[in-house]
Amino acid sequence: MKNNIVILGGGQAGIYAAREIRQNDSKSNIKILGEENLLPYERPPLSKDFLLDKKKEEDLYFHSSDVLKNENIEFENISINKVDFENKKLFAKNDNVYSYDSLLISTGSENKKLSLDNNLKNDIYYLRNLEEAKKIKEIVSNKNKITIIGGGFIGLEIASSLSQLQKKVIVIEIGNQLMGRIIPKQIADLVQNTHIEHGNEIILNKQIEKITKKNGDYEILLNDNSLIETDFIIAGIGSTPTVKLFENTNLKLDNGIVTNQFCETSIKDVFAAGDVSNFYHPFYERNMRLESYQHAQNHGICAGKNIAGVKTEYTSIPWMWSDQFNLNLQLTGICDEYDEIIERGNDINNGVIYFFLKNNKIRGACGVGIIGKVGRDIRITSKLTEKDTIVDKQILSDQNLKLNKLIQK
Amino acid sequence: MSEENWIEVGATDSIEEEDLIRFDHQDKTFCVYKLTDGFYATDGICTHEAVHLEDGLVMDDEIECPMHQGIFNIKSGEALSPPACEDLKTYPVKVDNDKIFIKID
Ligand SMILES: Cc1cc2nc3c(=O)[nH]c(=O)nc-3n(C[C@H](O)[C@H](O)[C@H](O)COP(=O)(O)OP(=O)(O)OC[C@H]3O[C@@H](n4cnc5c(N)ncnc54)[C@H](O)[C@@H]3O)c2cc1C
Ligand code: FES
Repeated sequence: MKNNIVILGGGQAGIYAAREIRQNDSKSNIKILGEENLLPYERPPLSKDFLLDKKKEEDLYFHSSDVLKNENIEFENISINKVDFENKKLFAKNDNVYSYDSLLISTGSENKKLSLDNNLKNDIYYLRNLEEAKKIKEIVSNKNKITIIGGGFIGLEIASSLSQLQKKVIVIEIGNQLMGRIIPKQIADLVQNTHIEHGNEIILNKQIEKITKKNGDYEILLNDNSLIETDFIIAGIGSTPTVKLFENTNLKLDNGIVTNQFCETSIKDVFAAGDVSNFYHPFYERNMRLESYQHAQNHGICAGKNIAGVKTEYTSIPWMWSDQFNLNLQLTGICDEYDEIIERGNDINNGVIYFFLKNNKIRGACGVGIIGKVGRDIRITSKLTEKDTIVDKQILSDQNLKLNKLIQK
Repeated sequence: MSEENWIEVGATDSIEEEDLIRFDHQDKTFCVYKLTDGFYATDGICTHEAVHLEDGLVMDDEIECPMHQGIFNIKSGEALSPPACEDLKTYPVKVDNDKIFIKID
């Protein structure tokens, strides 16, 4: 049967879904609607190699327009501003109307904004897309002392890149550690030390009271009355799923679009994938929302299969990374449900990993080390988690013993 | 095909099965693998970013990069999974008298 399949949101999950649908369905029309006038591209380099000029715009695209053409996938640059699920229609600002038989929502997430006086709204920069990355890159070339508000992954990656561009960087974080409570404090501290060793200033436990503009520069007043002078401000204070469009519809929302393990939403023929979806994970027996590269790809592929009628459960064990200076941090599984923590290694040069266990099985792990030092072990950890293996804690805690000994073939 | 291009890597028992070793020669670096059906060699550095694959995970015929989980087929060098998209260069390998040699062009 020939269907009209529409993908709302032309990012990573959207493009992987489109290609997967085509693999399983040669006939249907597949149309991606994306508000960025760009083919789907990778976001991770925006805060890292793109700012550092090690990657150019053309290196970021997942696929060329030829690939899309060959697979008969249409990409249209348009912003949708109204949906009618009952009549299966999407409406654009310019009065274009798009009808669908099946719809995938992959609108991603958007940055939280600081609540500030109106007259400062255009002075604070955020990083989510290529356009913003280009702007930041251009402006920082003339700035010296840059303040990052928010010590999460993206803020710290920007701080690392700007430091490598010889800028003086200050990071202000409201919490008592970097990268949020999901990261073990010990690992957050190791990352913090690396920033400090490279000359970045890290301020924890402080809130912004007020920002004032002075002769083109800024003064940031903190809640302990200290004052920071800076000539450029970037905020990375977290993100929220892009769901505004669906707020007054029947679509079930709860920290994103609620989906089951088949990427199905509460409305028939409507699917969701990637950052925007709060999905049911059958292994962990709970819902979760992830913002990660691997998840956007795999979840997109899984949605694609289900849209094409190949019923497939989403069972990927979560995984994400962050690169800062010469460190590579990786997170697998979930680290907030455990009855025991086991530490492997204590030297960042050889990698340090914290395993989170429940009933002697790994639920998740977080590791950091000089580039290359934790990847293999974290990967093996994902496999052990997935296989629900009862693990030998002696092997987990001893860096001289190889973890692959734990995999039952 | 001159004989000189074959460079000795080491003894065949220096690599465990389904594992790899790093081999540096002049200014280049390689990975040499022992799979169930023999020895193979590829460039040592991931084509995505500059990380050495010696710390990666060998699974069946594949090497997975330790940094972002890009995956390559060890025998063909083909990039199988993003973020790796550029293929990895492979090199011929031979075994002579329990020693591994790779042919570098
Ligand atoms: C700066 C940065 C660095 C990152 N670094 C890492 C990293 O190191 N490791 C990691 O694992 N992950 C990283 N991530 C996360 C990863 O990039 C995201 O999880 C992934 O891009 C999510 O894919 P998605 O398809 O769900 O959403 P997106 O890629 O965000 O795509 C959504 C698209 O939908 C469009 N859209 C939204 N609403 C509409 C509408 N109404 N009409 C039309 N189009 C619309 C948006 O403009 C956007 O183009 C990073 C993200 C950012 C921003
Ligand atoms: S460096 Fe190998 S996948 Fe990125």
